[in-house]
Amino acid sequence: MLLGLILLSFGVLGQKKLTGIVKNKETNLVIDAAQIQIIETGDRTYSNLKGEFFFEGNFPENIQLKVGAAGYQTAILNYSFSNSNFIEIALTEKHVDLEEITVSTGANVMQNKSPFHVETKKLTDLNSIATMNLGEAIAKIPGVYQTSLGNGIAKPVIRGLQGMRVVTLLNGLRIEGQQWGGDHGMGLSEIGIGSVEVIKGPASLLYGADALGGVVYFSDEPYAATNTRSLDLQSLYQTNTQGGSVRFLYKESNKKLRWFIGGSYTNHADFQLPSGRFAKNSRFDESVLKSALSFNGKNSVHHLRYSFSLTVTGIPGHTHDSLAVFSDFQVTEQKRKYELPAQFFQNHFLSSDNKWFFKSSDLQLFLGATSNRLIEYDEKVTIPSLSMRLNNGLYALKWNKKWSNSSKLTIGIQGMAQNNANARNASDILIPNANTFDNGVFANWIYEWNRWILQAGLRYDLRILKSFETFEINNPITKNYSAPNAAVGLVYNSEKLTFRTNISSGFRAPHLTELLANGFHHGALRFEIGDVNLKPERATQLDLTAEYKNEHLALVLNPYVNYISNYIYLQPVDSLVDGIPVFHFEQLDNILFYGSDFGIHYHPHFAHNLHFESSFSWINTFTQSDSSVSLLPPSRLNTSIRYSFNFGKKFELKDLIVQHTYMAAQNRVTFNELPSQAYNLVNVSLNATINLKQTIGLSIGCKNVFNEQFIDHLSRLKNIEMPGMGRNFYISLNFLINQNLKSNKL
Amino acid sequence: MKKVVFKSSVVVAISMALYSCKRDECHECHYDKAGTEVEMGEFCGEALKNFETQGTYTDSTGTYEVHCHGH
Repeated sequence: MLLGLILLSFGVLGQKKLTGIVKNKETNLVIDAAQIQIIETGDRTYSNLKGEFFFEGNFPENIQLKVGAAGYQTAILNYSFSNSNFIEIALTEKHVDLEEITVSTGANVMQNKSPFHVETKKLTDLNSIATMNLGEAIAKIPGVYQTSLGNGIAKPVIRGLQGMRVVTLLNGLRIEGQQWGGDHGMGLSEIGIGSVEVIKGPASLLYGADALGGVVYFSDEPYAATNTRSLDLQSLYQTNTQGGSVRFLYKESNKKLRWFIGGSYTNHADFQLPSGRFAKNSRFDESVLKSALSFNGKNSVHHLRYSFSLTVTGIPGHTHDSLAVFSDFQVTEQKRKYELPAQFFQNHFLSSDNKWFFKSSDLQLFLGATSNRLIEYDEKVTIPSLSMRLNNGLYALKWNKKWSNSSKLTIGIQGMAQNNANARNASDILIPNANTFDNGVFANWIYEWNRWILQAGLRYDLRILKSFETFEINNPITKNYSAPNAAVGLVYNSEKLTFRTNISSGFRAPHLTELLANGFHHGALRFEIGDVNLKPERATQLDLTAEYKNEHLALVLNPYVNYISNYIYLQPVDSLVDGIPVFHFEQLDNILFYGSDFGIHYHPHFAHNLHFESSFSWINTFTQSDSSVSLLPPSRLNTSIRYSFNFGKKFELKDLIVQHTYMAAQNRVTFNELPSQAYNLVNVSLNATINLKQTIGLSIGCKNVFNEQFIDHLSRLKNIEMPGMGRNFYISLNFLINQNLKSNKL
Repeated sequence: MKKVVFKSSVVVAISMALYSCKRDECHECHYDKAGTEVEMGEFCGEALKNFETQGTYTDSTGTYEVHCHGH
């Protein structure tokens, strides 16, 4: 049926043409190299030397155009093909666009009109100083941290919540990869990712159950501009791990079809500590293949995406030697070769995203499938200790209806069917084979009145969990969990001020591992025991945002309180199995997470080349028991100073970036958790381009410039007193080739 | 469209070929006896798997757990 709809959309061709010109609003002079993007379909083009641009193809009748150019304020405007096929666009000159207007891909709403504070960042900005993985990149966002196990395993922590409580999506596809385990990686690579959006706090209304802590939504880079192709080659080398990555991304777009294909390979040896020793078995390597295809129907747009990744990562800090001491994990020799214990993490992501546009409404059908294979080798090189495959099928059907420009209703259904299966050859089974079915129905209404925007939504979710007899485990269970959820928000928008307030609720049914775990979790060095009587967690968050911005200054204050009942946590018990400590899953009646994020972006008028950005994140909890929340993020102050040079022709020096992170001490710890000391990290980067026939980007830098000895509070290696990475120099090269296709009309 | 399918197929085929090149792994195995590691030599492929499945080595002094990786 889907194929029929797509073919029907593709077959009924009624090509539209749009020509236009981009001008300076004040001087009326034409603007060349302005980027014009049709938001609904992703088609992109650039204005020529005369300021003119041209689109031809299948487009919806009513579209939104996003127009941006260097030195001008980004504009988003509505256009209807029923009026004319010419548009004149006037941009306002602005020497810097401090907070570019973006459209939230996940929430499908312009960011300045969203009732909840969505942090949207381009990955290139987060990587202005090279990062080791996606987790480290997004941990630069206020309120977002990373929990890591060496360099190969890193996952997001939002406002103190992590694991199953944070939902990660890639272009709308929910990523399921046994994320309940702190030692299980995120399974995503940076290749082809253009931007990331973070919603902090319960987001069940739009994303379903589980998202109590928040949502991390990754979006792909845009396709090549219409009638062009590009090849992007990147390489990165880091001295600390004697490793790095190589990537390629080929894109091609004509007026009918847009597509890209890319691949990357990353390899790092054990990382070096500030002392000069090495973190034993912290090596990892990762191979990724990624592809996407998109085309427009008469009044529709379709995307088909597939990606594959294979990560092999050592599990540091792991031993069965009863006489081991912490210094045994810090060795004098840096190794790269695969060694036990190790984790193989294989992911397939497939999705089909389709949208049909009608006169005042649109219908979106999303279908997806993910397959995750997790294998841990612990004691034996040929017999895995843990081997599971998690297959997941997802669907979402959404209908958006607009009444004039002031009222919009979204109703939809969303769900997934999940199967977890253990391999027979594994020596341990932590959780049994099981099926999970999620189904939800929701409605969300947004009403805009002058400077005010009101949003209200309702949702109802049902989860059915059914476990099976699995080899020697023969206590199958069937559980049903259901809950209504709601969100209501209000926004006030003026030219310089924005106030947002939002109350949202969320629910998370206990995961299979929390209900039925009964075995060794080697990667976490725990013997875990579940409780089949656990109740679902419920969360209610009040989130307030005040934003001020003018041409030179942007300020954001974002306090929140998140009240969670039936909070599930791991409680250590005074017992050992084969020398490994035993933990029980237990439940706390209620807990309050509260805190605030603060951000400033200052661009002084007297020093146009200087940018100063700083953010402060503070998180705390209030609970009846002090031993329920481990890995509570400490307060953090991130500051970045960028000075743009932009001089030189063939060798153009772009900018110098200095980043400083102050991480406060954390003394709020659980029963068997170590506190952590405060520390300072300084990173620097110098970026340049070599302008030959094609442009080569060059970036050199140093992380942890002063070789500070520090232990991150959220590091899973904290309890063995393993410090973070020492000084790390890097160099990255980026070679980008852009070409027009023969059929280019401009 | 044909070009797209062709180029994609080439890349996918090369990638699959690379991933399917499975090595026949070899490892040194040992057991711990009276606080010292007793080397048992190198085992590969099926022999290694059989050896690990068995999991123990027995001599006249007792039965010992076999390891084919470093601690």
